Amino acid sequence: MTVATQIDDVSFVHSGGDTRALEHVSLSVQAGEIVALLGPSGAGKTTFLTLLDGRLRDWRGRVSVLGTPLDPDHPPLRAGRPDIGFVFQEFALVERSTVLRNVLNGRLGRMSPLRAVFGAPDARDLRVARDALADCGIADLADRRVDSLSGGQRQRVAIARCLAQEPRLILADEPVSSLDPTRAAEILTLLTQAARARGATVLFSSHQPDLARRFAQRVVGMRDGRIAFDVPTSGLSEDATADLYRDAAQMPAIGLRAVI
Amino acid sequence: MRSRGFGSFAAAALVAGAILWSFATTDVELSRILSSGPRIANFLGRMFPPDTSVMQEIIKGSAETMRIAILGTLGAVLLSVPLGLLASETMAPPASYRPIRTLLAFIRAIPLILVAMLMVGAVGLGPLPGIIAIAFHATGMLAKFYAEAIDGVSPAPLAALESAGAGPFARLRYAIWPQMAPVVARDTIFRFELNLRESLILGVVGAGGIGFYIQTYVRSFQYDKAASVTLAVVVMVVAIEGVNVVLRRRFS
Repeated sequence: MTVATQIDDVSFVHSGGDTRALEHVSLSVQAGEIVALLGPSGAGKTTFLTLLDGRLRDWRGRVSVLGTPLDPDHPPLRAGRPDIGFVFQEFALVERSTVLRNVLNGRLGRMSPLRAVFGAPDARDLRVARDALADCGIADLADRRVDSLSGGQRQRVAIARCLAQEPRLILADEPVSSLDPTRAAEILTLLTQAARARGATVLFSSHQPDLARRFAQRVVGMRDGRIAFDVPTSGLSEDATADLYRDAAQMPAIGLRAVI
Repeated sequence: MRSRGFGSFAAAALVAGAILWSFATTDVELSRILSSGPRIANFLGRMFPPDTSVMQEIIKGSAETMRIAILGTLGAVLLSVPLGLLASETMAPPASYRPIRTLLAFIRAIPLILVAMLMVGAVGLGPLPGIIAIAFHATGMLAKFYAEAIDGVSPAPLAALESAGAGPFARLRYAIWPQMAPVVARDTIFRFELNLRESLILGVVGAGGIGFYIQTYVRSFQYDKAASVTLAVVVMVVAIEGVNVVLRRRFS
């Protein structure tokens, strides 16, 4: 089995913004695995996924994603970016553009710079985009504007955009936290199915233990910027989960801890 | 409590003083106020019936006003694109956007009619000073609006395109521009409508357009002709307002 991501002793001191700290995080994810990052909000899940996506600076440690080491001082080369797909919690779609345009935006990194700027997707770009739309069950919405869609439909568009990148690794940051339980299960079903069909590795974060249990093969518990446990889904105990959320309600913000 | 009572007494005294000072130092006599009623009635009487023989002048003046508004808006857009970029917090450093924003506020504070008078002095009579004045005056508002349109762009889709590997130009075209375009279009049309309205009176100071005829006819006591031109201006303002209502509905 090949390693999709290898993270050794990574730390990140948050610099006052929204990003939470990470402390000595080590993790290895095999290609094709579906892993859930479980933890209360503020545990550092978003920071961790953003780091793996190459959009975080000034961290320490060693990280290798899809065989390429990440450099904490420089953004990764554009050539490698389409291999890593990212699904955002709040969708991050261009509201006034059509569904198809948003999905084609996921192809921009695969097009030649000239094609990208002149908005001339070739036949293959269009086919990949249409396939992604069909896999997300929204082929009929292609010409609709995103601002006319519901939350569940928007996250389907965001996942289709991610699939259009033809990613080998999919990072999903709380992809269903803004949706109702039925919608959430639907979205995670199609995300994991599409990933399996494409042989892509998935790392998704969630604060809901039942979703992690249902959709992942492995659950990594995070708390206070550290990894609390790392178990196969079958070995996830109620105690371990309860421990993760212990005092979560009155837990002070990481920023306060850093001051003390 | 006592200081608050003193404060309101001082404010009332200040207002009363200001009113008394204005009366005492202005040539407003009771007899003039009383006689002004019949005089205004006489003046209005001489405006009726409006002389419709000036239709040619009205059309010529309106066309020139339209040209001043179009070219003035074009000039303002050309000036506002670079200034808007330099005044935007997301595209420019504080060393750029702070002074540029102050400059734009300064430009906005100068009344258009004053700019027009200065431009007539600088380049002579005709539509050219009107166009320059409109371009200058409108830039104060339009560049600020453009900067706000840039700063109003949501950063999340930008991060998504960066994550997908899109280059800077592709990001500009597919994440920034689609969010900006409707705002820029709306602001530009809104400013054009203001320019058209404001350029109607530019002719009064000799800066071209239909206002020139009002000034000419009033000065030569041809009040019936002035009335026709004034009516034409009112009709145009109402028409512009109507178009504006429709456009606002379209862009909201």
